[in-house]
Amino acid sequence: MKCDFCNKNKATIYLIKIQDNRIERINICDECAEKFSLHSDKDFYKDLPEIIYKLFGAGSKDITDRVKKVWGNLSYRNNRQCPDCGIDLKTIKKTGLAGCSNCYSELGKALLPLIKNIQGSLESKGKIPLRTSKKIRIEKSIKSLKNKLKNEVIIENFEEAARIRDKIKKLEKSINGHGR
Amino acid sequence: MGMAGKKFNLIDNNTGRDEFINKIILKTRVNVARNIAGRKFTSTSSSRDKNVLLEAVKKEVSSMKKFEDFRFYRIKDLENSQRDLLFRDYMIDTEFTGNMQGRGLFAGNRTHGEGASAVIINSEDHINIQSVYPGLNIYEAYNEVIKIEKIFEKKFDFAFDKDLGYLTASPFNLGTALRIHIIAHLPVVVLSSEISDLLKRMSRVGCQVKGYFIEQSEAAGNLFEIFNESTLGRSEDDILEEVEAICLNVAEEEENARERLKKKDLPGIKDNVYRSFGLLKYAKILSYEESLELLSVIKLGVDLDIIDNVSDFDFFELVDKISNSRIIIDMELGGKINSDYIDSIRADMIRKKITKEAD
Repeated sequence: MKCDFCNKNKATIYLIKIQDNRIERINICDECAEKFSLHSDKDFYKDLPEIIYKLFGAGSKDITDRVKKVWGNLSYRNNRQCPDCGIDLKTIKKTGLAGCSNCYSELGKALLPLIKNIQGSLESKGKIPLRTSKKIRIEKSIKSLKNKLKNEVIIENFEEAARIRDKIKKLEKSINGHGR
Repeated sequence: MGMAGKKFNLIDNNTGRDEFINKIILKTRVNVARNIAGRKFTSTSSSRDKNVLLEAVKKEVSSMKKFEDFRFYRIKDLENSQRDLLFRDYMIDTEFTGNMQGRGLFAGNRTHGEGASAVIINSEDHINIQSVYPGLNIYEAYNEVIKIEKIFEKKFDFAFDKDLGYLTASPFNLGTALRIHIIAHLPVVVLSSEISDLLKRMSRVGCQVKGYFIEQSEAAGNLFEIFNESTLGRSEDDILEEVEAICLNVAEEEENARERLKKKDLPGIKDNVYRSFGLLKYAKILSYEESLELLSVIKLGVDLDIIDNVSDFDFFELVDKISNSRIIIDMELGGKINSDYIDSIRADMIRKKITKEAD
């Protein structure tokens, strides 16, 4: 059997990948194997997951075609790097994964528009970790109270609206006033 | 509000509701991802970093009563086949990115009919907590996940941003980092080709559907996976409520389609069910795809109570057991992979499982 990569030499290594019941075979010759760092037996088994990743590629199961399409638009013309973890946009595009939590602020300019497109929002409304600063907690509740306020005004429930407004003022004061 | 505010007539009529829903919705899997603040994500962290994190988590877990029954596995110490089986049993998305250094799994007891929880360390994110329940059990599974999350929350600062919520390696998990996966068996919706319509409507309400086992671009065995597409911009409660509402809707649709079909052509379905049974009972070589199609029809027959000489079988479990990879691993076929041989083992397995007279 000929090598799948150079299509020239006789294949000496055969890999079979079975995923979701699909069987995929790859035949590799010695020469090409070297390029994939499949050289010694020892390295081969040690690096197997890495090798499989290189050969077959990988992808998260939850990623839909729509997401893939949007993500394909990530441009890395100046290929910025995250100063904290060193990952660059090109790698993020390829793997679909950020390198650290600061990537989102450091590379936000490139990432956030795509995230907005995929998620439909850039504003978390979910729960907040227990050990988050008080300030974030208060800011979050102000935001949700403001939404409530809008709704109360719409349905002309002014009494409730006034109560919510006072609450917001009090909370705002607590974080801006003395910043405790 | 959308779907969440809508009340379903199913909910008002509680009798037999769970029973019929759980015939159609086979599994619920809830997954939450968390990263520890101030540490690089798994995608960029060193093997040493990963091991340090794993040990830190292990230390916490081993001192907790909640985790008494959990078993710990260091992924790199497992044989490949062992790892595959474990991941399949717990329905963990396997991925082969990077090396296995510092990866770990805490796996809870899998008692039949109850949820199985697992905590995965250093996969895409530092900590992944998931729980699998039979049938439609979104709230039970979520509460179980959050119970475990709370334990970690007390000990670790999670990476969090006031706008983006929980920070995850994949931008598609930001916000709540909550994913709900449902596995549904929809043979009649597929038959009546309402499925494409269903898919379209689903994406409009923020859910995605795809075939659970894809064979030649079709969903083999009429098994579909439904999951929430976005994780950001909605609260956990909204997501839970919406996915549940959608699943109830889907189940209702399938049920209605079944009723209509029954009225229209009961002899036709019966014939189909018994023919499929005959094939499964007597065939000596069965491909996975064909088996799934036939078993799907038998399952429909059992659900509709029109076949009685089939022994009670767990459709989803059987479908997993007879897959190529499972047979290769279970039979330790290793290099001797010959598709006819696998197909004949499969035919034997199915016959033994579904026929009543079998020993």
